[in-house]
Amino acid sequence: MSGEPPNHVVELREVRLEFPQKTVLDGVSLKVEPLDRLVIMGQSGSGKSTILRLILGILQPTDGQIFFKQFEITRLQRRKLQQVRTHIGMVYQYSALLSSRNVRDNIALPLEELTTKTNAEIDRIVDEKLELVGMLDSKLQMPSELSGGMRKRVSLARALVMDPELILFDEPSAGLDPVISSVIDELIISLSERSQVTSIIVTHEMDSAFRIGTRMAMLYQGKVIADASPEQFKKSDHPVVRQFLSGSTEGPILEGSKDAVATK
Amino acid sequence: MPTNDQIHPGPNDSLVNAPVDVVAGVGAKSRDVLQEVGSVFWFTINTVGETFDRIRRGRVPFRAASFFRYTERAGVGSVPLVAMVSFFLGLTMALLTGYQLQRFGTERLVPGLVAIAFTRELGPLLTGIMLAARIGASFTAELGTMQVSEEVEAIEAMGIGPLRFLVAPRMLALFALMPCLSVISSVAAIFATALISRAYFNISLVYFQDLVLHSLLIRDIITGVLKSFMFGLLIGAIACYRGLTVKGGAAGVGTSTTSSVVTAITVVIGFDTLFNVVYIVFFP
Repeated sequence: MSGEPPNHVVELREVRLEFPQKTVLDGVSLKVEPLDRLVIMGQSGSGKSTILRLILGILQPTDGQIFFKQFEITRLQRRKLQQVRTHIGMVYQYSALLSSRNVRDNIALPLEELTTKTNAEIDRIVDEKLELVGMLDSKLQMPSELSGGMRKRVSLARALVMDPELILFDEPSAGLDPVISSVIDELIISLSERSQVTSIIVTHEMDSAFRIGTRMAMLYQGKVIADASPEQFKKSDHPVVRQFLSGSTEGPILEGSKDAVATK
Repeated sequence: MPTNDQIHPGPNDSLVNAPVDVVAGVGAKSRDVLQEVGSVFWFTINTVGETFDRIRRGRVPFRAASFFRYTERAGVGSVPLVAMVSFFLGLTMALLTGYQLQRFGTERLVPGLVAIAFTRELGPLLTGIMLAARIGASFTAELGTMQVSEEVEAIEAMGIGPLRFLVAPRMLALFALMPCLSVISSVAAIFATALISRAYFNISLVYFQDLVLHSLLIRDIITGVLKSFMFGLLIGAIACYRGLTVKGGAAGVGTSTTSSVVTAITVVIGFDTLFNVVYIVFFP
């Protein structure tokens, strides 16, 4: 395959990922433009979160190319890959805060480890990011003392601390009540606009997806079956997209699956 | 069409295949063991490589506070256990050997015997076993929990090398602290022997000191210290490797922790035996 570096923030070219007995991704191609908020939707286990891990270089694809700006992630040496990762922030489904460090230390970690900033500078940046997510009062609390929504905010502050060009969100609304979920969605929108950062959001929650996304892609059986603006996506006549949007149990998604048997 | 014999193999078939199955089983186990040995070896090499890479770039590989936190936990926290167990073992050894040797009138050999045994062999070995159980298990469980809660992946995603950040300070703490704890173990055992020698065999403390100094060689001390360094490295590498390769949630953490302790103790004893054989053959 030709290796021309792309002009996009992220580009996946014909990415395949096979695990023993399962093909997770089967030729996925995606382009993410600067300042896009791309929402990737799909069923549980369809490989949405896997795409985020491929972009970070934590997983290696079986075939295909993945670019972050001009860097081909799949070919980078370990040290270069670590440098590239500092330009990408990741917010995990369950926040993945370091349980042995308090909120301040969690957010300060990348600054302490990857920069030569003084403690005073680090404190200033940490305060600034905590202020952005409205968590300054919880600076000295341990992750175990925080609610799910608060952890997510801290995780977002940690993702923002290195001023990344791209933020990856893995199920940002998972496990949160609808109100807190909306708060997190609005926070993602406002921070993306204020910090001029591109985002890729993985979710299967419709309300959240349409609230956040400027573009939507749907993953089904290892392929991207729809990639459009939210308005066009809503009007899609693809049977899988239609079923996914309506939440109906009748349609191609459940055909032949164990879940279909359970509904009968 | 399959014959009746193929569908219903007779009892003789399983007997005929039994040796083959045993050999195949042993072969598969050996392959697994060799794979594990290779993985732990490369894990250690990569940890050292990542750490030195950071040093080459003019940065400290990990914070001193982080290193001292582990040395305190692994070293200072283990002193009472190591000292107590060694004291009791020294006491028992002195008593048992003393009463046997007394029959031949050679009980004055007890101080040298216990001193050499502990300095060269039992001190490092006992400390290794105790640290594998106490600290190795805790490192595996800690890293394993971090692994299943995606903390390790989050660290990696930030661009921080998890081997350098998580493994190196733990391994270095065990590497540096093992010899110190071995010395404490030997001192505790020799002290216990001194008490027994004074109480039961009429060997005064001054005479005891003379006997110990006369029988102990510098090379006994060096051998013990060298072994301790290696035991520390092995326990650290196995514990951290098992922790970072945990799979399967909470149950996986439990399985890996048990496996880490069993593997570390077996490897420590195995390495000790190998070391002794090589040492005695090449430096008699």
